Amino acid sequence: MSKQFTFKGASEMPEIPISLGFMDWNKTGAWRAQRPYYLDKTPPCSAYCPVGNDIVSFIQKILEEDMDGAWRVLREENPFPGVCGRVCFHPCESRCNRSFLDEPIAIHALERFVADFSEDQGQKVKREVEEGKERVAIIGSGPAGLSCAYHLARLHYPVTVFESFSLPGGMLRMGIPSYRLPREVLEREIALIESMGVNIRTGITLGQNLTWQDLKDYSAIFIATGAHLGRPLGIPGEKRRGVFQGLEFLKKVNSGKKIELGEKVGIIGGGNTAIDVARSVIRLGKKAILLYRRSKEEMPAFEEEVSEALEEGVKIRYLVNPIRIHSKDGLKRLECLRMKLGEKDETGRRKPIPIPNSNFFIEVDSLIIAAGEEIEFSYFPKGMERKGGILLTQRDGSAGVKGVFAGGDLTSTQRTVAHAIGSGKKAALAMDCYFKEKDSEEVFRRTLIGEGPPISIFRYLHPDERRMDPHLVRFEELNLDYFEPAPRQKESKLPPKVRIKDFKEITSTLPSSLAIEEAGRCFSCGTCNGCETCYVFCPDASILKREGIFLREIDYDFCKGCGICFTECPRGAITLKEEAR
Amino acid sequence: MVGTKKVNSNKITLPEVENLGRGHLACAGCGAAIAMRLTLKALGERVIMVFPASCWSIIPGFWPYSSFRINAIHAGFVTGGATASGVRAALDVKGDDDTLVAVWGGDGGTFDIGLQALSGAAERNEDFLYICNDNEGYMNTGTQRSSATPLMAWTTTTPVSQPKENPKKDMMGIMADHQIPYAATATIAYPEDLIQKMEKAKRIRGTRFIHLLSPCPPGWRIPSEISVKISRLAVRSRVFPLYEIENGRRYTLQEERRIVPVKEYLKLQGRFSHLSESQIEEIQKRVDEAWERLKRRARC
Amino acid sequence: MKKVITGNQAVAYGVILSRVEVVSAYPITPQTTIVEELSELIANGRLHTRFLKVESEHSAMAALIGASTGGVRCFTATSSHGLAYMHEMLHWASGARLPIVMVNVNRAIGPPWNIWSDQSDSLSQRDTGWIQLYCENNQEVLDTILQAYRIAETVRLPVMVILDAFVLSHTSEPVEIPSMEEVEAFLPPYCPPYPLEPQEPKSYSVITTPEYFFEFRYKIQKAMEEVPEVCQKVEDEFYSRFKRRYGAVEKYGDEQAEVLLLTSGTVTSTSRIVIKKWREEGVNIAGLKIKRFRPFPAKEIGEAIKGTKKLAVIDRNLSAGVGGIFAQELKAALYSQEERPAIFGFVSGLGGRDITPELLEEAIQYTLGHSQPKEEILWLGLKR
Repeated sequence: MSKQFTFKGASEMPEIPISLGFMDWNKTGAWRAQRPYYLDKTPPCSAYCPVGNDIVSFIQKILEEDMDGAWRVLREENPFPGVCGRVCFHPCESRCNRSFLDEPIAIHALERFVADFSEDQGQKVKREVEEGKERVAIIGSGPAGLSCAYHLARLHYPVTVFESFSLPGGMLRMGIPSYRLPREVLEREIALIESMGVNIRTGITLGQNLTWQDLKDYSAIFIATGAHLGRPLGIPGEKRRGVFQGLEFLKKVNSGKKIELGEKVGIIGGGNTAIDVARSVIRLGKKAILLYRRSKEEMPAFEEEVSEALEEGVKIRYLVNPIRIHSKDGLKRLECLRMKLGEKDETGRRKPIPIPNSNFFIEVDSLIIAAGEEIEFSYFPKGMERKGGILLTQRDGSAGVKGVFAGGDLTSTQRTVAHAIGSGKKAALAMDCYFKEKDSEEVFRRTLIGEGPPISIFRYLHPDERRMDPHLVRFEELNLDYFEPAPRQKESKLPPKVRIKDFKEITSTLPSSLAIEEAGRCFSCGTCNGCETCYVFCPDASILKREGIFLREIDYDFCKGCGICFTECPRGAITLKEEAR
Repeated sequence: MVGTKKVNSNKITLPEVENLGRGHLACAGCGAAIAMRLTLKALGERVIMVFPASCWSIIPGFWPYSSFRINAIHAGFVTGGATASGVRAALDVKGDDDTLVAVWGGDGGTFDIGLQALSGAAERNEDFLYICNDNEGYMNTGTQRSSATPLMAWTTTTPVSQPKENPKKDMMGIMADHQIPYAATATIAYPEDLIQKMEKAKRIRGTRFIHLLSPCPPGWRIPSEISVKISRLAVRSRVFPLYEIENGRRYTLQEERRIVPVKEYLKLQGRFSHLSESQIEEIQKRVDEAWERLKRRARC
Repeated sequence: MKKVITGNQAVAYGVILSRVEVVSAYPITPQTTIVEELSELIANGRLHTRFLKVESEHSAMAALIGASTGGVRCFTATSSHGLAYMHEMLHWASGARLPIVMVNVNRAIGPPWNIWSDQSDSLSQRDTGWIQLYCENNQEVLDTILQAYRIAETVRLPVMVILDAFVLSHTSEPVEIPSMEEVEAFLPPYCPPYPLEPQEPKSYSVITTPEYFFEFRYKIQKAMEEVPEVCQKVEDEFYSRFKRRYGAVEKYGDEQAEVLLLTSGTVTSTSRIVIKKWREEGVNIAGLKIKRFRPFPAKEIGEAIKGTKKLAVIDRNLSAGVGGIFAQELKAALYSQEERPAIFGFVSGLGGRDITPELLEEAIQYTLGHSQPKEEILWLGLKR
C-alpha cells in the first residue's frame, strides 16, 4: 500500500518522471457496474437425492484422493453408503447434468467405492450418546429406523431400537437378496451404528411382547415398521399350498432357511420384489417365469434389475393377469386373461384392461405372489390414522399422538431405501426440535436442499458452512469449454452363468484409479471446488486465494466487475448482479 | 487443464507473484491485462520491459505511480526493437546476463510503425524477448485500423460502409523469415500454454517473438465478460491457431480438438456484425486455406 | 602523442578515450568514417564496447536511450537527414535527461541532395533541449568530446558536438591525442543517478498529466541555466590538465572594435586570417567565435561586444522565413541589453559553397559602409 504523493513544487520532484510508488491506492472497485460474488448453488443430484447426500462434496474429496474425507461427507447425512451404493435407484444419476454432455456420473459406484475403501471404519466411529438426555424408542430396524437412530445418536440422544425379527436390518436384510447387498456390508454399517451407543433389541414386537405402556418412559417414539406384509391378489385358489407371498419367500431365502419349491415357479408382479423373487428362484436352481399385467414400459422394477434377470434366464410374460388358481396334485394351473393397455391412471401408467374371452392357462409347480406390500396396523393406538395404505403423518413425521413420529415405507408410497433413510433423518431432526421446542418447519426450511423435499442435517449442525442458494444449476449455466467427453466407468459384473450359481455379489467395487477417473468427470455443478479458473483469469488480480471453507474471495476494492470470472467458472458457482449505487 | 481439479494432472502451478499489481487503469475485462499478468508471472523478477507507445503507456498509471513491480522503460512508438537493443547492450557491457530484456509492443508498434526497428533488431538477432500484444487495431487512440486488423472488420477508420479491405498481415511469417530462434503464438484462453511458451522463450538466446492475441472489449465491441471466451473461440475457429516456429523453419502446430466454424467466433463481436452470409463464407474459406498452408509448413 | 588525423578520426579517438560503452550508429555521408574508425578501434581490442549496427538513425538514438537508461556511457554520430530522422528521439533524450553525446557533421538537408557543409541540420534541432557545441578544428573536436561527457553527466542533458562536413570531417590536421590515463583522471566512469535495479523496480518516463509536466520542463530549463558555469569549471580543469581552452565564445582582434565579425565552425579559421589582415591595414576590427550555441551565450557575447557598434554575423544556415539562425538568436539575446549594436545578418555558404576570405571581406566592407543593414537578410556570395 503506497501513500499518495503530493508535491508543493518542482523543488520536491525528482528530475525525471520515474515512478515513486504503486497504484494500490486507486480503488478501481469504484468502477463497477456489476458485481460478481461466490454463491454455491444447488446441484441437481443433491436436490433429487432422497437421502440428502452432499454428492458434489464427496466426489470432490475422491478427486483429492481423500477417501476418508469422502466417507465422512457421506456419513454426515447417510449411515448406509455401502448399502445405498448398491441398492439405491440413484435418481441423482437421472438428474446429473453430465448426461447432456455424454453420460451421467456413476454416483452410486462412487458412493460404494468410498464405503468399501476405508478400512478400520470401526476405529473412526466413537460412542456419541449421552445418558441424561431424552430417551427415544424406535420401532423397527429397517433403513428408516436405523437412520433415525443414527442421527439421534449423533445428536447425543440415547436410543433403543426394537426389532421384531431376530436380526436387525428390516427390508435391507429381509427383502433384498445378498447378491445385491452382501450381508457383511449391511452388518458392517449396522455395527457402526451400534458402536455409537445405539441399543438394538431384537425379537421384540410392538403389540405383542412390547406394549405402549412399556414405552411410557421414552420421551419420544419413532415408528418405522415398514410395509412387510404381502398384498394378496384376491383371486380364488390363492390360499392353497404351494402359493407363497413374495416377501415371506425372500425372508426365508435371506435367512438361509430351506424352501420347498417345484421345478417351474411362477411369479406374479412387476416390482423389485417380484424381480428379486424371480432371480432368487433361479439361484435355487429352478425355472422362473414372471407374469406381469402391464407391458415392459410400465414395470416399476428398476430397468437394470430387469435386464439382469432376463440375462439370468428369468422369463417374463407381459400383459397377463391370473384370475384363478387351479390346483391338482401339486401342479398349479393358472387361468389367465390377456390384457391390453388403456388410458393412463393416477400413477401415470396406462391401465391394464382385460380382453374378454382371452382365457388361457399357464402351468407351474409353485407360485409366488409379489404384487405389492402392505403395512401392519394392528398395533396402532387411537389417534394414528391410516389412509390409502399408509399411516398419515404431518410434514415433520408426527403421527397424531404427542411424542410419536413415524416414517419409512409405513408412511409413504415412495417405497425406496433412500426415501426411508431420508425420512428417518428428518424425523430425528423433528424430534430434536420437539425436545428443544424449536419450530421444526422453520428448521426444515433452512435445511432444504434446493426446493426440497430432501434436507441436510449437516446444515442444521453447521449453519455457517455449505451455504447453498436453492437455485438448481442447469446445464446451460455451466461452461462446457472446460470439459471434454469421457467414457463413464462401469463396475465389472460377473457373467450370468457364474452369477446364478450362488447368492454372491454380482458386481465389484471400482478400483481407486477408476473411481478417481470417474470423479474427474463430475462438473461440481454450482459448487466451487478450488479449480482456480477465476483466479487465473482476473485481469485485476482481485481474486484472492484463501484456505478453509471459502476457497476464494473477491477483493471488492479492486474488482472492476468485468464478469470474466462469472463467464469462465466451469461450474457456475459465481453469480453476477447489478452493482447497487 | 484449468477448470478441472485433478491432483494428478500436469497442471502448471502459477507463481503467486503479482507483478502487474492492482489499481491499474485497464478497461474492465481487458484481455491484455490478463495477458500481462500471466506473462509477468512467467518471466519472474529479473526482467526489464520496454514499452513502446500503446495502451500500456497509460494502463500502469500516471506519474508518480506505476502499478508495475518490474523495471519498465516507456519508449517512443517506433522504437521497441531499438530501445531494447540498447538496453541489452548496456546489460551486456555491465556483464549482466541474468536479466531478461523484453519488449511489450502493441500491434501498431509491431506490425506498422515499429516494424522497421523490430526487423532490424531481428536481423541482428538481438537478445531480447519481443511480445506483440495484438488487439487488432490502434485501440489506445480509439480503435483505428492497423495492419493487424482482420479482413472486413469495422474500426473507426474502416467504417461499416467500407470495412477493412485487406487481410491481416502475417506477422509470424515475417518473423520466421528473419530466421530468429523462436516465434510462437499464444492467447489468454490457454494460460498454461502462454506461460510455458514465455518460460521457454525466456531460456533461449537471440530474438524471440511471441504473438499474443488479446481481445479488447471496447475495440471489438464485445461485452467484457466474454474476453476469455472470444480468445478461446479464436483458436478453436482456427482464426488464430496456436503454433511455434523454431529457427524460421520448424513449425509445431497445436491442433485444437474441438473446432468450430468461424461464424461462432464472428457472431459474438460487434465489429463483425455487419457481415453478410457470403462474407462470412469468404472468411471461412480464407481461414481454411491459411490452416492448410500452416499444416503444409508443419509437415516439411 | 601528436597525430595528423581527420576530424572524423579525432571523433573516434575522443570516443575511445572517453571509454564509451555502447555505440549505435547508422552510416550517412560524411559521418561514415567515424563509425568505420570506431569499428576498427573497437575490434582491435582497444575498448570493451558494444557497437549496435542499427537499421536507421531513429533507431540509433532509441537504442542509446535504452542503453543510457541502462546506465552506460554511449555515443552516436550522424548528419543532416539522419539527424532530422532522429528528431523525435532528440526530444526524448533530453526529456529523459540522459547524458548522451552525439557528433553531428554539419551537412545540408535536401531536396535536392547535397552532402556538403551547411549548419541548417544541427540548428533546426535547436529546440530539442540538447546542448550544442561547434568546433573550429580537429583538436577542438577531440577536446570537446572529452569535455562533453563531463558536462552532460553533470547537468544531465545530452550534448551535440558539431563539425563541418568535409572541411573538418575529412581534412587532416595535427592533433594532440592525450593518453587513456590522462583522460581517465579527467573523466571518471559514468555513475547514473537513477540506475536500473531488479530489486527496486521502477518505471521510467511514466506518462505525466498537466499537473506535473510543466515542472519537469522547468527543470530542463534550470539545467540549461547551469551550463555556462559548468562549462567554465570543466574548461578550467581541462586547461589545468591539457593546457588547452576554448571558451563559450572567443574574441580575437582589437579590444575596442568598430565591427565585430561573428562566426562559428571552420569559417572562424578563415575569419581569423581576414581580421588579422584588416587590422594590419589599420581597421578597428575584431572577430568573435561562437562555440556554444545552446544554451546561447548571451552573457558572454554581451561582454564581448561592449563598445562595438556593429556586428556582422556569418550564418552558414537558413531558416526560411526569418534568415540566419545565429543572427536571429543574437538579436533575441541582445534585445534586453543596454547596448544594442546594429546587426548585419549575412547568409552564406549553404550546401558547401566555399566561404572564401574574399566573401568575408565583402561582408566586412558592407558592414563598415552602412550604419544599418539595408535588408534583413544579406546574401553573401549568392548568384542572383
